Amino acid sequence: MSNEELDQFRAETTAWLTANCPPSQRQPIVREEQIWGGRRRVFPSKDAQKWFEACRDKGYTAPEWPSEYGGGGLSPAQAKVLQQEMTKMGCRPPLYCQGLWMLGPALLVYGNEPQKREHLTAICRGEIRWAQGYSEPSAGSDLANLKTKAEDRGDHFLVNGTKIWTTKADEADWIFCLVRTSDSTPKQAGISFLLIDMATEGVSTSPIPLISGESEFCQTFFDNVKVPKSNLVGELNGGWAVAKELLKHERKMMAAFDGMLEKPAMELLELAHYAVGVDDSGALADGELRADMARHLMREKAMGQLGERIYWQGKAKQADHRLPLLMKHLGTSEAQTKDELILRALGDEGVSMDDPSISEGLRKMVKQWAFNKALTIAGGTSEVQLNIIAKRALGMPSAEAKS
Amino acid sequence: MILNEEQLMLKETVAQFFAERAPIDHLRKLGEGSPAVPYDQTLWSEMVALGLTGIAVPEEFEGLNFGWMAVGAIAQEAGRRLVASPFLSSVVFAQNVLINCGSRSQIEAHLPSLLSGEKTASVALDEGRFFSPETTSIGESNSGLRGVKTRVLNGQASDILFCVAKRASGRLGVALISSSHVNVNIQAKRSMDLHGHARVILDGVSDADVEWLDGDTLEVGLTKSIDQTTILLAAEMMGSAREVLERTVDYLGEREQFDVKLGTFQALQHRCAQMYCELELAESAVSAALTGLDHNAAGVSALASSAKALANDCFTLISSEAVQLHGGMGVTEEMDIGLFLKRSRVCNQLFGSSTYHRDRFARANGF
Repeated sequence: MSNEELDQFRAETTAWLTANCPPSQRQPIVREEQIWGGRRRVFPSKDAQKWFEACRDKGYTAPEWPSEYGGGGLSPAQAKVLQQEMTKMGCRPPLYCQGLWMLGPALLVYGNEPQKREHLTAICRGEIRWAQGYSEPSAGSDLANLKTKAEDRGDHFLVNGTKIWTTKADEADWIFCLVRTSDSTPKQAGISFLLIDMATEGVSTSPIPLISGESEFCQTFFDNVKVPKSNLVGELNGGWAVAKELLKHERKMMAAFDGMLEKPAMELLELAHYAVGVDDSGALADGELRADMARHLMREKAMGQLGERIYWQGKAKQADHRLPLLMKHLGTSEAQTKDELILRALGDEGVSMDDPSISEGLRKMVKQWAFNKALTIAGGTSEVQLNIIAKRALGMPSAEAKS
Repeated sequence: MILNEEQLMLKETVAQFFAERAPIDHLRKLGEGSPAVPYDQTLWSEMVALGLTGIAVPEEFEGLNFGWMAVGAIAQEAGRRLVASPFLSSVVFAQNVLINCGSRSQIEAHLPSLLSGEKTASVALDEGRFFSPETTSIGESNSGLRGVKTRVLNGQASDILFCVAKRASGRLGVALISSSHVNVNIQAKRSMDLHGHARVILDGVSDADVEWLDGDTLEVGLTKSIDQTTILLAAEMMGSAREVLERTVDYLGEREQFDVKLGTFQALQHRCAQMYCELELAESAVSAALTGLDHNAAGVSALASSAKALANDCFTLISSEAVQLHGGMGVTEEMDIGLFLKRSRVCNQLFGSSTYHRDRFARANGF
């Protein structure tokens, strides 16, 4: 697409957004007003519904997906323009859904035509909400050790087992799962990728209370659940490849999540000034906190600069494949450093998550501190990340290869 | 944030040049001699012949104007071999003090002999125990300039000294002084990293023998020159840190204990992986700062402080870990690991410790 055409697309997009995104939907997002879709979807306001429906009908809930599946059919360059204009206007994301971020991209690669038609369309129209069923009580970092079994019963699979850390599964309609279909070795070679309607008899879900006082995550149980064979994605026993494709998108999503989350009541600097105060020279009164904050802010900025380096390297075809391997570990540990600084700055206001005499905004920060302890665990623990860096970036020998 | 093709070629050329002409053994040999000789003159002549003196100089002053990313690449390659040379002290620091603080006629009078390699220059900035560029006890007076300047890099081999001192007006100024002046006493020193610096005693250098730089943007120019040199030192440190991490990973891949390569132990793998994360994080801050110089961006001081603080912390960590992971060999002179360790601690003191830069960064950001 030529620059002129792209400029024209930009002008059209701006006009469309101006006409279709109500002012209330250009305010920073708060968690309670995110639209997750699904069979039981509710809209926090008429404006929110209007904005969602406008995007849905235009295909802008999934701008880059083909329009035949309900997407916007935009080229990557056009999608970038849309993203830029939405960011500029402060438009809220019209739809939040794991189907959108994770399952969809994998289905585009591995799904067959009927699957794409059925599921992609329902995802971008916000009709079906998805949960992810990967981890199990005995299969965390060692994901390939999963035991949930899908037995071949002729016209269907019979599924038995349990999945844990199924995010918001109590509100989801369908779940995509890794299941064991063979006991062959290596363990990865006996795993298949299965789509399961959670309304099927034998599926049950219970929330897991977390240290942040919430229960984002659930455990889902499968008790003699009949799943049609047409719900198998990719090859039988070929689920590991699908899962890897999907994990790629999970990591990308976690990196891009920033603008989609609720902003804290105060940024770190503002909070420190509010809570700690300054001395005569204008420096923060707590010198140690001040130095640690400077260190953190430098590192946080350097994370962004690392991202820029990766971007420019890619553009110049000089990509250093090692650098993206560092993002998850560095980013999540720096996020936790920030939470610890917030807690230190809060002092006495940082010791409770439910004391009503403390403002809700501050209590949310304390909850976030606890919740973010999951950052270095979910989506590949820091320890697994370090294993990967040692092997793939530094080429260190694996333990099996004894001299 | 990345090198263009021309700059990549330059980097390769310089890397090969240092590998052939400046192995670390040469630095050790230098260290056995008198501190009056802070670097190998032949090596320096060859660096001049390669055109390295003009690399960061604008074309209007007959320079090559290769861009600061390219200067950073040279500094990194020098860092890999711990090269002792006037590249940072004269090409980066002194030449830019002249360009940023001098008038056009002063630049045209003094720059050509520096570009040709006929002369080298040093900046006499530090005085106290710690880096503190805003304070000086040396001032313009009737009895001439008097006082002591410390950590003057390669000052014992310099022809020209740019001495930071207070003008009669009370503002900071830069005095150009000939190092051979009868009232300039230069004590040659060598720090534990085997690089040279000097203690310069000014014993009444009369105003008649001083040329004060009088460019339009003198004070801003001085800060800019210090920021430029800080960033380039950070780049050099990243080269050293990368080299010593690579040596350590290689060593763990060769050394066997308990019938296995040490590198197979997860405890050691994780330490190396952590170091590599820190390396690329700091490298990113340095690249951003170099790019900031190339774009003449506002806020270069904050970028410089980030780059130096992260480079300090990173090189300190990696050089310490390198000694530990080399085991007994790490504390011997048989290997060069100890030299990297010492170099890192010397670099920490040059152009500001992490404490200094975190304080400056905080102030620049309003806390």
